[in-house]
Amino acid sequence: MSKTETVHENVVLDTSSPAEVNSGLNTRLSNWKEYQKIAFRIAFIFFVSISIPNNAEWYDHVIHIDWTNLHYRDLYDIARFGSGINFFGNKIFGSQLNGYANWVITLLVSIGVGVIWTVVDRYRKPQPKEYNNLYYWLRAIVRYRAGIGIIGFGFTKLLPVQMPYPSVGLLNTNFGDLTAQKIYWLSIGIVPWYQVFAGVVEVLAGALLFFRGTTTFGAILLFGALGDIVFVNFAYDGGVHVYSSYFVLLSGFLLVQDIPRLYNLLILERLTIPVNYYPSFSQKWQKYTRAAIKVGVFYVFLILLFYLQYVNFKYDPYKQPSTKGVTALRGLYNVTEFKVNNQTIPYSPLDTVRWQQATFENWTTLTFRVNKPTALDLSNGGGDPQRDINRTFELTGVGGGQRAFHYYADTVDHVLYLQDKYKAIPDRRNRVAGVGGDGGTEKNLNGGIDKPLTEGASTEKASLDPNWINPEAWKHIGDEVKMIDPKAASTRRDREFATAKKSEKRNRMILHYETTDGNRVILKGIDQYKDSIYVVLEKVNRSYALPSSTLEAGKYK
Amino acid sequence: MSAINVTYLSPDLETDTSWTKAEKVLFRFFFIYFFLQIVPLDWKFYRDLFAINWFDLHYRDIFYLSRYIPRLFADSPSFADWGVIALVALAGTLVWGFLDTKREEYTSWQYALRVLLRYRLAAGVIGYGFIKLFPLQSPYPSLSNLNTYYGDFTDWKLFSLSLGIVPSYESFLGGVEILAGLLLLNRKTTTVATLIILPFTGNVFMSNLAYSGGEYVYSFFLIAIALFLLSFDIKRLFTLLTLEKPTIPNRYHPVFEGKWKAIRIVLKSAFIFLFVFLYGFKSYAGYQVGSYQYPQKAGLSNASGLYNVRTFRINSKELPYSKTDPVRWQDVVFEKWATISVRLNQPVSLAPEKRTEELYEKDEERQYELAGTTGRTYYSYQLDTTQHLLYLKNRNKDKPNDTLILHYSRPDSTQIILSGLTQSKDTLYVVLDKIQKKYLLEEVQRQGRQKALKL
Repeated sequence: MSKTETVHENVVLDTSSPAEVNSGLNTRLSNWKEYQKIAFRIAFIFFVSISIPNNAEWYDHVIHIDWTNLHYRDLYDIARFGSGINFFGNKIFGSQLNGYANWVITLLVSIGVGVIWTVVDRYRKPQPKEYNNLYYWLRAIVRYRAGIGIIGFGFTKLLPVQMPYPSVGLLNTNFGDLTAQKIYWLSIGIVPWYQVFAGVVEVLAGALLFFRGTTTFGAILLFGALGDIVFVNFAYDGGVHVYSSYFVLLSGFLLVQDIPRLYNLLILERLTIPVNYYPSFSQKWQKYTRAAIKVGVFYVFLILLFYLQYVNFKYDPYKQPSTKGVTALRGLYNVTEFKVNNQTIPYSPLDTVRWQQATFENWTTLTFRVNKPTALDLSNGGGDPQRDINRTFELTGVGGGQRAFHYYADTVDHVLYLQDKYKAIPDRRNRVAGVGGDGGTEKNLNGGIDKPLTEGASTEKASLDPNWINPEAWKHIGDEVKMIDPKAASTRRDREFATAKKSEKRNRMILHYETTDGNRVILKGIDQYKDSIYVVLEKVNRSYALPSSTLEAGKYK
Repeated sequence: MSAINVTYLSPDLETDTSWTKAEKVLFRFFFIYFFLQIVPLDWKFYRDLFAINWFDLHYRDIFYLSRYIPRLFADSPSFADWGVIALVALAGTLVWGFLDTKREEYTSWQYALRVLLRYRLAAGVIGYGFIKLFPLQSPYPSLSNLNTYYGDFTDWKLFSLSLGIVPSYESFLGGVEILAGLLLLNRKTTTVATLIILPFTGNVFMSNLAYSGGEYVYSFFLIAIALFLLSFDIKRLFTLLTLEKPTIPNRYHPVFEGKWKAIRIVLKSAFIFLFVFLYGFKSYAGYQVGSYQYPQKAGLSNASGLYNVRTFRINSKELPYSKTDPVRWQDVVFEKWATISVRLNQPVSLAPEKRTEELYEKDEERQYELAGTTGRTYYSYQLDTTQHLLYLKNRNKDKPNDTLILHYSRPDSTQIILSGLTQSKDTLYVVLDKIQKKYLLEEVQRQGRQKALKL
């Protein structure tokens, strides 16, 4: 480089005195250009609308939270709400626009209101020259909305329960028999420490948004991380593309203020003077209120939520059933003998009646595989069902003939009372979240437009009586509400069990089980078609190429 | 009730250009350190460079060029290499400091180092960018892979398969890398590029650790460069965004004149031509041919699919269907290329898996289909269409002697009958029926998850 000549350019500094510089900057703050004012009015309506809950269910939920006996989901639901202007529905010309119609409607209304506001301002005296104060508060609302929202999401990863490690049934399912959505979630589930890392990133991004000085860094992080997740949701049909886009939108808005400055500094290489407006909180009550809000948000969404998530991870990982299964039965089994109504069916991969393989999970689930098409649950298994039978992650997005039955175990008389986990129209989940969440699909939000499939229909006749479990057996089974570790008990759980329907139409089986050491299990009883079956299971002690989990959720020991 | 937050400019803001002692020492260290890491001083690099046939260039050649990193101890890079280089740099720093006491700043040196690092990092991210933009790196799973139990894959293989099912996402990731690479070619957009690369490659690094991939050293190398490049502006960003104070931009601009101007333009153009245009074109052409991960030689025509093993006779003895029998085949996959895989109840040793990205030329080296998975036995085959013979050879290196010579006949389009001899001279007679298998993965991608599906 010896031949090159180098020049230190002089900084182009404003030579005017500090006072003059200051007055120049003051003008910049005190006189907004007309287009800035119009853009602000629209943005104000728009961002306030999509930052506050728009459905009564949310307010109802928040009012009824039992703060003395919390469940993590109580707080999560505060952070996870439907928003935007929806008086006119969520469709434009009959289309949901892939879930984004609500945004478009909100924007159109905001433009309308913005225009009216502009006209009103014309006639105001004196005419407002700037909206510094409102802009500050708008940013504050968006900062807290985005921060709280992403922290709610982040903690389910930081204490890895959002994407569980595959169950034994899933480990023994062909790769091609899973949906793309399932494959993606499992691919995170197999590396729980990576899930923790992703959670740390999200929580960190959220926490940075709570401070003015770190907002831009938090917004950049959030924009990048959630931008990727939006793409993931589209590519894998993950179902939460709208909610993840939501954070991209909010963080994008927060970056608007600093991008021109960064451009000025880095690309134009000019001296950059940041001028920010802050309201002064000089009065005592203002100071205290501000501190109280800040500390309150910190305590509830960082400390309390962390603790409740920890409890959930430890005793009640929400996507897996929390009740431990019969210990002697657990494992993967080959079906070595299979009789229906005393008729032996030899093994054939093509047979449409015979079970091909079975698993008893760590929790109260029996799975088995039959070579016969079955109706599938293609939801992502999210939401927060409290009852184990509705926790369907092991079943959702899984084909290949896999069936999953939840059981109540009478360990005195050795009887399993089994019910199909599949339900044609699943219960609505994430009630306060509205459409586009991980629990709401067309099916259950529109009152079930899809007719139950044929197998489901024939089930209604074949199903066993609603009072299929006799009182004596119930005594042996015990109370399901209390089957969880007392540390994880919550009012939310009690309420959901109390309101659960007692006589759902589900496939049912009653099977007597017999085993000495778990290597050979004999099941006999009545199956879902009211046929008598006799099944001999031989345990398969196999190893997996996939390393086992190094961070296990739940308490099944 | 309002206040405007402006800190007045301090008068000493712009004059002093000399560096503190600590800055000088640190710079000397990093200069030597990065110089040793990115400038190939290794004879093997030049051997490989001159082995490239520049008239018949393959994107593989450019990919490997882009991925150069000194390897002192083994075939793959390790942090031990970094340790040695750091020690050398430390010694160099001492000597340099001893010899060079008068210099007040290294601004122009710093500029030169940043140029080297910018182009090195650009080559690194673009190198991986194009093989993702044209989804070559993680191809769509083979039929055999679709018919393998989830638990029969290693974590790293599952990572790759999971990416392989969504080519659009893989392209997006590649696009981000290429965009960041292009931003590095311009000095003023360098910091923006590092703000893209740090989270992106940081994520790659974490994935490599989590899924026990082998590229964590290399990805961390790219992160180290990005961090060094960002350090140039990080103080400014902090001053501007967090302290909210007036911030002075970079003021050093070298002027290239005469010969140097020409040299600069030639070098820059050469880099862009090689790593953007030529590499982009070559990798696109390669994508048209197919992923480098799978063998290229075509298999038996119109045979690809999953087959049920209806009849299985060994030495004329018929074996019934069984999930436990170690001899009887359970199902068979014919790939489009010359590979057959068989599911049978025999332990399959884990196929070796190169956990770094390698672009193999020859079919037998292309192990992706069986890498990182058990559960199926893979055979490659030679096809003799005149005598209707398949010469099968086990692809697993543990079983080099497992070969079969099978005669095939095809009574109709859905049936294949194989008969012949195994390595141990047992006679084999197998009737295969094609299963019209519908994969949930594909059915749902066609119709979406919102509609009901029975499968």
